[in-house]
Order: sequence, then C-alpha cells, then structure tokens
Amino acid sequence: MNKISAFSGRNFKEIIRDPLSYLFCLGFPLIMLIVMTVINNGIEQSAKSAMEGLPPGAAAPETMTIFRIDNLAGGIAVFGLTFVMLFCTLTLAKDRSGAFLVRLYATPMHSGDFILGYTLPTFLLAVLQIIVTFAASFVVSLVVDIELNPLGLLLALLSLLPTAVMMIMFGLLFGTLFSDKAAPGLCSIVISLASFLGGVWFDAESLGGVMLKICEVLPFYHGVKAARLACALDFTDWTPHFLITLAYAAVVTIAAIITFNQKMRADLQ
Amino acid sequence: MLAIETKGLTKKYKSKTVVDGLNLTVDEGELFALLGVNGAGKTTTIRMLTCLAKPSGGECSVCGHNCVSDSAAVKELVGISPQDTAVAENLTVRENLSLMCGIYGFSPDKAKSRINEMIELFNIHDVANSRAKTLSGGWKRKLSIALALISEPKLLFLDEPTLGLDVIARRELWKVIRELKSRVTIVLTTHYMEEAESLADRIAVMISGHLAALGTLSELEQQTGESGLENVFVKITDNFGKGESK
Repeated sequence: MNKISAFSGRNFKEIIRDPLSYLFCLGFPLIMLIVMTVINNGIEQSAKSAMEGLPPGAAAPETMTIFRIDNLAGGIAVFGLTFVMLFCTLTLAKDRSGAFLVRLYATPMHSGDFILGYTLPTFLLAVLQIIVTFAASFVVSLVVDIELNPLGLLLALLSLLPTAVMMIMFGLLFGTLFSDKAAPGLCSIVISLASFLGGVWFDAESLGGVMLKICEVLPFYHGVKAARLACALDFTDWTPHFLITLAYAAVVTIAAIITFNQKMRADLQ
Repeated sequence: MLAIETKGLTKKYKSKTVVDGLNLTVDEGELFALLGVNGAGKTTTIRMLTCLAKPSGGECSVCGHNCVSDSAAVKELVGISPQDTAVAENLTVRENLSLMCGIYGFSPDKAKSRINEMIELFNIHDVANSRAKTLSGGWKRKLSIALALISEPKLLFLDEPTLGLDVIARRELWKVIRELKSRVTIVLTTHYMEEAESLADRIAVMISGHLAALGTLSELEQQTGESGLENVFVKITDNFGKGESK
C-alpha cells in the first residue's frame, strides 16, 4: 500500500501542478456552463417574443431545453471527465517516453501498483471535478431561477462514477498504447465524440433516427442521460442507462489492465 | 563475494544478437567500467542485470540472486541511474527522493533520515525544494543518482552519468562517485575515456556484444602495448575488427 500511495501522490501532484489541468479540467467546462446558460436565456427570450406574436389559440413553439441548467449540469460533467482522461493519458505517456517508468520498473513495484497508482489519483480528480461542476451548476440555477435539487445532484454524481472510471481507464489504455506526441490527438477525437455523440450539445432524442442509434451504441450518451435523470430525481428510465455505463466501465477497465500488463511484459523482454 | 556474475549471457532481438555469450564477474566494492561504442551492448547488459530485460541465453546473477528466477530479490539490491535522467519533473528534489522512499516501503523516520543523507551527500541543499524541471543538467544527474542510491542498494548502475554535462559539472559528479566507491559496488558505462581512467578499478571493453578486453588500466596497457585508456580502447577496437582480439 505504501508503494501505491507514494506513486499515487506523485501522479496527483504531477497533474495538479500542470496549469493546463486547471484550464481544461475546470476552466473550460465551467466556461461552457456559463456560456450555454447565457445562450439558453437568449433562446427563451426569443421563444417568449415569438409566442407574444402568435394569434390566440395557436400552439406555442417548443422551447429548447438542452442548455437549461438542469440538463446542462450532467452533460458538462461528462464533458469535463473527458479532460481527466486526457491528463491520465498524458501522465502515463510522458512517463513512458521520458524513461521514468523504466526507472520504476527496476524497483519492487508490480503492474497492479502502477495501475492503481495512475488510476486512484485521477479518480479523485474526476470526483472533485464533478463536485465543482455541480456546485457551479447549483449557483447558476439560483441565478436563473431554475430548481436544481441538491439530492438530485448528489445522485447524479454517484450515477457518473462508472463513466469516470471508464474515462480514466481509456486514459490508461491510450497512455499505454500511444506516445505523448500521438496521445493528445487521439484524446481530442474522443473528447469531440463524447461531447457530440453524448448529446451534451444537442437533444439526441428529438433528432432520432440513425443519429440517436449511434449515440445509443456509445457509452457517453448513457452517462449523460443517467446523470440528467438522477439530477431530476426521475428514476423511471434511469436503470438501463446506468447499467450500460457500468458495463462499458467494466469492459474498458479489463481491456486497459490487460493492455498495460502486456505492454509491461513486452517492455521487460 | 561476487556482486555480479554472468555466464554466457546472451540477448537477441529477433535475428540480431546484441549481447553474445558474455562472461564476467564483478567483486563487491569494485567500481567497474563498461566501455564500448554505441550499440556495443553495454546498456542491454545493464538492462538484463537490473531485470529490465530477460536474457535470451546464459544467466546472470546479482549478489548470488538469479536475475530471472529471483528478480524480486535482485530489485531490492540494485539501483539504476538510466541514460535519461528519468526524474519526476513536477516534483521537487525532496519529493522525488520521498517518492523512492515510499516505493521501497521506508518508515517516515527512515525516509526523512535517508532524504537528508542524500541531500548532504550530493550537496543539493540549494535546490532541495526546487522542482526537478527547473534544475540544470548537472543537478538533474545528481538527483538521478541520488534516486538510485536512496534505497541503499548493494549495486549501483550508472549508465552514462555525465553525458552532456559541462566539464565543471562532470568533475563535481566524479567527486561524488569517488565518495560512493567505499559504500557500494558501482557499474559505470561511459563514452568518456578519462572518466573510466579516473574512476574505475577495472575496465571491460564490449564490441558488438562481445567482451573484447577486461582488466585494470595497467593490465590493458600491458596487453595492447599502448599507454592511456583512449589509445588502449582504439587498439582493442582495431584488433577486434581484424579478428585478433576476442
């Protein structure tokens, strides 16, 4: 345990001492939260104006709720987790390219110590990031006068834990397989895919068709949905979404552990 | 007691033989220099002795422990300062040392005492609280060796420890290595002949994975009829190329 805590502590410090980690893991998601809330308010104002011009008895236009804070909070939290994946990838990839990992291979550390050493601190960062995102969302909800239940936010946090594990394990997988030069490019593809096909920036259900099917095949959409439903304390459809994220987390974890062990064995041949 | 023993140690990567039937012994307390041009097999030999690579043939042992079958014991006995400095860049010097103490399972008291000892030995008080990424090449090398030494190894591998350092930094590091001689067995690889000449008790010359020569400087001078390690090294390399040397 001493080895794991020493190595975890090192990795935690390595990440939090990189100014870019604050910019990407906290700054960017929080900026998006505020920007999208401002956009949502603008949309609602337009919708109200349109309603005022309608003849009596005419159907009111549907307002877009995707950027409303109760929907946005869960989506932004998943979006933020993709940056935790990026920093997990970069920490491992840099250790590999800079021979730091080789030095540690010559110590009594085992593969399990390395895996836990990389994943435990990033898991802590992921939880902290979700808490900060939800705390900021709660403040925004008070400002825009939309109810956001603290219990719902707590349950949304718990709903997001499998997604956090999955993202971290993606980070371990990419950091094992790719160099510190190649990994950021690959991670940016995953970040784009997760936010776009996770339904963070658009309502996948209202689009329907092939687009919705693609979203449903990938885990990100289910992570966002589980968080949004928990946030709204609506558990009628919550279970399947949560179970899918749990299954994805298990599969990616197994894949990452096998890949890391194989790569370590290959490095020591 | 022998610190290192290799018998027919061989390493092949696919069809390429990098180390070919290496037989050598290093006594405890010795400072042993491993010389050779790039690709001679020095680093691969060190990798096998530190359990970072598995031999394709033959065997090697450290302080009587086989590097393959008893790698856990070997890892407790060796420290390595790799060619790349390999330090945690965002940690301070003190935190880097503390990390290694944690990895070797030292108690907080022992860790504190070892860290202070290393800071004293390497005279790194001024930078003890500086992050590794802000250190000059010389300081980083010192830190790298301190990281290898903090676990109290019986055998210390220094893979080109002064590579890229200026003359002053190199001489400073030589001073540290001389001080270490009495405490631990050291295997040093280097391209600087004056470094091996100044520090080593015995010198081995590797060429294309083979052990081409082995002995003290005076023995090698006698064998080749040359004076000075640089001339000796060139002669051994030439002779090996002509097939006159083993």
